[in-house]
Amino acid sequence: VSGVDLPFGLPEVDYTDYSNRQLATIPLGVLLAALIVIGGFWAVTGAPVEPGVAFTGGTELRVAVGDTDQPRQEIRQAFSSQPSGIQEVAGDNSFIVTFDQDVSTRQLEQEANQAGFDVLSVESTSASFGASAQTQALIGVAVAFLGMSVLVFAMFRSFVPSIAVVLSAFSDIVIPIALMNVLGIQLTLGAVAALLMLIGYSVDSDILLNNHVLRRSGGFYESMYRAMETGITMTITSLAAMSVMTIVATIFGIGLLSSIGLILVFGLAADIMNTYLLNVSLLRWYKYEGVGR
Amino acid sequence: MAGIRDNWRVIVLVLAILASTFALFSPTLAPNGGNSVGNATDSGPTNLQYGLQLSGGTRIRAPLIGVHASGVDFGQDNTSAVRSNIAAELQGVDRTDVRVRAAGQYRGVTQQTNIAEVTAENVSAQQLGDALSAAGYDYEETHDEVSQVTREQAIQVLRQKVNAAGLSGGEVRSTTTAGNEHFIIIEVPNRNRSSVLNLVESRGQVLIQAYHPDGSGGYTRTTLMTSEDLDDVGAAEQPQNTNAPPQVSVVVRESSAQQVQQRFVDTGVAQDGGTRCRYEESPNNTEPCILVVQDGQVINSFGMRDSLADSLRSGDWASNPTFVLTTTNFSEAQELSVNLQAGALPAKLDVGEGGEGSSMYVSSSQSEGFKRDSLIAGVIAVLAVSGVVFARYRRFAVAGPMVVTALSEVVILLGLAAAFSYPLDLSVIAGFIAAIGTGVDDLIIIADEVMAEGNVRSRKVFQSRFRKAFWVIGAAAATTIVALSPLAVLSLGDLKGFAIFTILGVIVGVLVTRPAYGDILRSLLTEDR
Repeated sequence: VSGVDLPFGLPEVDYTDYSNRQLATIPLGVLLAALIVIGGFWAVTGAPVEPGVAFTGGTELRVAVGDTDQPRQEIRQAFSSQPSGIQEVAGDNSFIVTFDQDVSTRQLEQEANQAGFDVLSVESTSASFGASAQTQALIGVAVAFLGMSVLVFAMFRSFVPSIAVVLSAFSDIVIPIALMNVLGIQLTLGAVAALLMLIGYSVDSDILLNNHVLRRSGGFYESMYRAMETGITMTITSLAAMSVMTIVATIFGIGLLSSIGLILVFGLAADIMNTYLLNVSLLRWYKYEGVGR
Repeated sequence: MAGIRDNWRVIVLVLAILASTFALFSPTLAPNGGNSVGNATDSGPTNLQYGLQLSGGTRIRAPLIGVHASGVDFGQDNTSAVRSNIAAELQGVDRTDVRVRAAGQYRGVTQQTNIAEVTAENVSAQQLGDALSAAGYDYEETHDEVSQVTREQAIQVLRQKVNAAGLSGGEVRSTTTAGNEHFIIIEVPNRNRSSVLNLVESRGQVLIQAYHPDGSGGYTRTTLMTSEDLDDVGAAEQPQNTNAPPQVSVVVRESSAQQVQQRFVDTGVAQDGGTRCRYEESPNNTEPCILVVQDGQVINSFGMRDSLADSLRSGDWASNPTFVLTTTNFSEAQELSVNLQAGALPAKLDVGEGGEGSSMYVSSSQSEGFKRDSLIAGVIAVLAVSGVVFARYRRFAVAGPMVVTALSEVVILLGLAAAFSYPLDLSVIAGFIAAIGTGVDDLIIIADEVMAEGNVRSRKVFQSRFRKAFWVIGAAAATTIVALSPLAVLSLGDLKGFAIFTILGVIVGVLVTRPAYGDILRSLLTEDR
């Protein structure tokens, strides 16, 4: 079909073997499953994803406990209120202890000092501030998505290729949110940044694909494979960078970087599927059947 | 000459890198040009400034407690009467919690209409509106926040508090959210949360009062002076004689000296022979006392020496109106000095429990850790990117310049941060890493495009392919900018820095570094030079 080899020795898929319906079934099925997960979570908890301290209000302390056999137990004993989470930072043996909004930050600080912990950082967010952050995050994601969609339609000026990009971008942010629900990951500010980043970043490979197929001379498959060669290199490069950043940032307890990295890893992985199954099938339908109609 | 014309993009890149290096390292552009407050955010060998997460310290972000009504018609009443009438309509609200200001200029802030304001806790805008109506004053609108003039005054007082307490590098400013809410932000390097909170959470209203018989068998308090009557306030002192209490000496304003002197005499504090205060032991059976009252709490009480009482009564004191306030311990004296210097906050910061404030504290060891670890995370991300592009292209001529170009983007971004004194924090570093990510993606598009179908023989073929690649790059850049611009505007935590630097990275990339990579690739790949 083509003379292009996929990068990194990836096996070449012969797309002519599969119908558009077959190709689109997988990503649409995954999207549906993700929407069901999110919908179920929403129905049960009242929010599409579990909000973290930045959105509910509360206090997060990072403390160094010192040499002890049972650090978690000591942490629990040190505070008069029950922490809602204790997370160990492997890089420096400190602990990130989270409390919900009803606790006095001042008292927590005092208790940590009394227990002989070294208080490395304290972050407290009021409930009302958290609520306003939640609204702003929602507005931000909606505006970003809308802006991106308008831009894509303006660039391609035809419905099917544009909606293909928008649909796969939608799936690129829905799948990570569903994964967060399944894996019990809370929504942090970093995760919101990553979702916005995904809206702009994950469409790159879709734009590349559309551009090659629609705006270049040459057959559909030749153009598609060429776009795939470049696009997969792009996405794998980003995936590699974000994976190692996530791992390193998790080890060192840099929450912002690890949550940005993790959500981008989820979204970019989803994007490979969405671009080369969903977008390709919609484009092929458009190219061979849709244009003439 | 042809060399320059053909490679102008590379030349622009080199110039941009040189300019950034200059901005980063030139001592002429060093921050804090000598006389600015402190150098707590000092950055070592570079001109970079670090934010709280990377330099350590405390940040408090909170609104001021209060509500106000604008466009109030005072009718025939003077402001003092309006104040009392409003206070009378609101349960549990003291006259001192009500502020009434006619339209006009206040310290550089123009107030368009007459304003009535309540800075007590638990009074809603609705309640103020009802109180105004009940008192017979028409108004245009109520607002669920303090007025602009009050906010500006509060910022000035807070600044003075931070300075008077010797917190070098401390900064007070206000910020407006996308929803048009106003917050005060206080940032103090190298201090922990409670020490900053202790300084700013109280109103810091100090009254020097006389406690004296009211003539009908009881006692009453009369205010002798407030911070507004003072011209100069000394630092807290511990006298050489260790038995003497810690003290703060003050100089009373010339314009107030006569009045203050008269109050001392009228209240009997400056009676013949001085006074011996027994307020602590038997408040119902003591000679007149001087009370130091801070935010409604009596922090110390004392009598008056014979000689000072004489000088007050004779009128000599007013020509040299100094006074020494004593406290029971040194930290109280420090607090007293700060509060007297800064004056009282017109409204409290909402930092208490259940309040709307948020705060962040990062210890200096943690900030050092963040600095080192985020650098490691960034470097490892770059190494991962390099590994993948080398594995993909297996040609140093393609992959080498790719990595170098992406890194030069970070250098330019760092230069911009230094030039504009934008404080680096973790979100900015995340922005740098995102810039490398998007940058390398674009370089891959360029490389694949120009190398498509074998070798690039002529410059003409190169140019046409490069232009095609650039359509995609421009489109991708536009979507990233659109997607992140809400974040650059919203006040979502610290994410502004991430959005700003990712967007800047995309712009710098599209305008400077990525075109230059095209030129570098051309000179390495084309044969007809």
